Amino acid sequence: MNRFTLSIVLLGICGVLSAADLPLVDPPPGKVLLVAQPHHDDHTTDYGLAGVILRFIADGYKAYYVRGTNDEKDGRLGFPRNDMVNLKETYDALRILGMEDHVINLNWRNNFETPYALNDQREQLIFLVRKYKPDAVAGHNAWEHYQKNPGHRNLSWNYEEAYWLAGYRNVHPEHFEMGVEPHETYHYFGKARLDWGRGHRPNVILEMTEEQVKVKEKAIHAHQHVYANPGGARATRTRLAQQGLYLPDLEDVDDDTTAGNMMIEWHMNWISRRWGKEANVKYGEDYYYMGEFYPLPGLEEFLDDNVEAK
Amino acid sequence: MTRRILAFVSLVFLAALAPLTAQIGETNNTVVVITSDASNYVLHAGGTVAKMVEDGMDAILIRIGNDEKDSWDLPPEETALRTKQESEAAAKILGINKVISLGFRSSDFRDVPFTTMRDRLAYYIRVHKPRVLFIPNPHTQYDRNHDRYYGGRAAEDAWRAAAFKNYLPAMKDVNLGAHVTPEVYYFAPLVDPARREPESTATFVPQPKMTDISGTLEKKIKAAQALKTINHSVAMRLKQRLDSTDRRLPLLDRVDEASINKLVEERVRGLAQLSAEGTDFQAAEEFRYAGAEYRIPASYR
Repeated sequence: MNRFTLSIVLLGICGVLSAADLPLVDPPPGKVLLVAQPHHDDHTTDYGLAGVILRFIADGYKAYYVRGTNDEKDGRLGFPRNDMVNLKETYDALRILGMEDHVINLNWRNNFETPYALNDQREQLIFLVRKYKPDAVAGHNAWEHYQKNPGHRNLSWNYEEAYWLAGYRNVHPEHFEMGVEPHETYHYFGKARLDWGRGHRPNVILEMTEEQVKVKEKAIHAHQHVYANPGGARATRTRLAQQGLYLPDLEDVDDDTTAGNMMIEWHMNWISRRWGKEANVKYGEDYYYMGEFYPLPGLEEFLDDNVEAK
Repeated sequence: MTRRILAFVSLVFLAALAPLTAQIGETNNTVVVITSDASNYVLHAGGTVAKMVEDGMDAILIRIGNDEKDSWDLPPEETALRTKQESEAAAKILGINKVISLGFRSSDFRDVPFTTMRDRLAYYIRVHKPRVLFIPNPHTQYDRNHDRYYGGRAAEDAWRAAAFKNYLPAMKDVNLGAHVTPEVYYFAPLVDPARREPESTATFVPQPKMTDISGTLEKKIKAAQALKTINHSVAMRLKQRLDSTDRRLPLLDRVDEASINKLVEERVRGLAQLSAEGTDFQAAEEFRYAGAEYRIPASYR
């Protein structure tokens, strides 16, 4: 299914989802955002994270990207070259997002995630949280249903524990020999597909400006190795022509790769508008957000009433 | 001819049920509480367990984890030892008369072979033959402490495995046969936004159930306060967070036993209030409950 058709299908699915007035959130005060994802392109998909990254950077954060796997399966060049090209395009995309060259490669073997010891990857994430001391973290929502990709499933599962366990001195005390200290993070932004069942229920929307949406559109197709889709653009034109229709915006575009990129941008623009509607703003991204007092239900009201500024 | 076949089928069906009935008949008036960590069951099931004890049941607690990670400034060994003693004190306050500590390393359940944990739990279910089981709910969402997921998964399967004689067959030789536990309460922190949605009918899915704990709330508060090492850790982490963001909670200006106990009391009362929402109770706990209606449609009962 090409992206244009996908957009139409998703539009239909989302149309039947009940609209909700989700609250808008802003980046919390802080300096460091640590985004952990398994793959080269997970920082910018139709279901999120680029908006978080751009908003946090706009607020003065430095953002780091943890790429969990070597992406060797994603592409048509064979394992080693897929890894190399996907890594290069990770840097390309992250520069577009303003993350500079802040990439940490864990290089777990792509799509061999299921059999490894979960604690091994979690331990690496705990160490990175201690080293970079993020004020906020972002990744997949570990509770998404029907997530078929073991990379997304396992890394988010590990990250959901790593970001707070890193604050416990009895968890991997050997790290302290390397000069790091316990560090607990208090803000987690989890992304997921809402059309994959009951697991992911966003509880916040992060608003984006039109300019930020444009950056997001560019960042995704920096991954040309896997996203260039000239065939999709050709097929769309052909199908439209069969019905006596055409897309005016594509008329002056001779190159099918460029046309395919334009369609990706339209899709990203559409999904950003779709989520913006949930909070009555023009553009947005949806997240499951776990805040600083999240693990203390029952105390939240007491803390709201009694915590004061120094 | 058809009548004879039907009669034969019915007899076979009843014969198959007979051992099950016999096993249920051997059930003790006991509640077995399985918890992954020391505080989870106290905070989310303690009031209900205490009420069952007050109503005449015996109660046994099985701690899967050793709680070695959850302290502020103690090494793992000291943390584990203190929390074991404090768990025993908390259990005593609730009326639990025996605590079994399995000693799995806390926060590391994820790489423990599933059957290793399950079979140890199934063993204790067969030994104590409970009428009621309390287990961490592995189906709850958004509990970021994954020990509760793994412990709950093992406990849920132990409930089932204990009921089939072909699991743990070696126990047959010591006369430790299968046991069906007729009632199960799944407990969990109140973080899952969908926790009160029934998902399906009671025949197929344990249903949301709220219990009145007004009569045992004070006991529950005292039990929660007995977990001193964990409570100190919670209070210090909260204070650290507030200090690092230039805020303060006046209660924690001085962190001592009195201030920590007050914080715990506020937490337990807050939880009881949250669970009482939508009910007529003043204080409550909420569960997923699998009782007689689970797996046996009303028309068969």
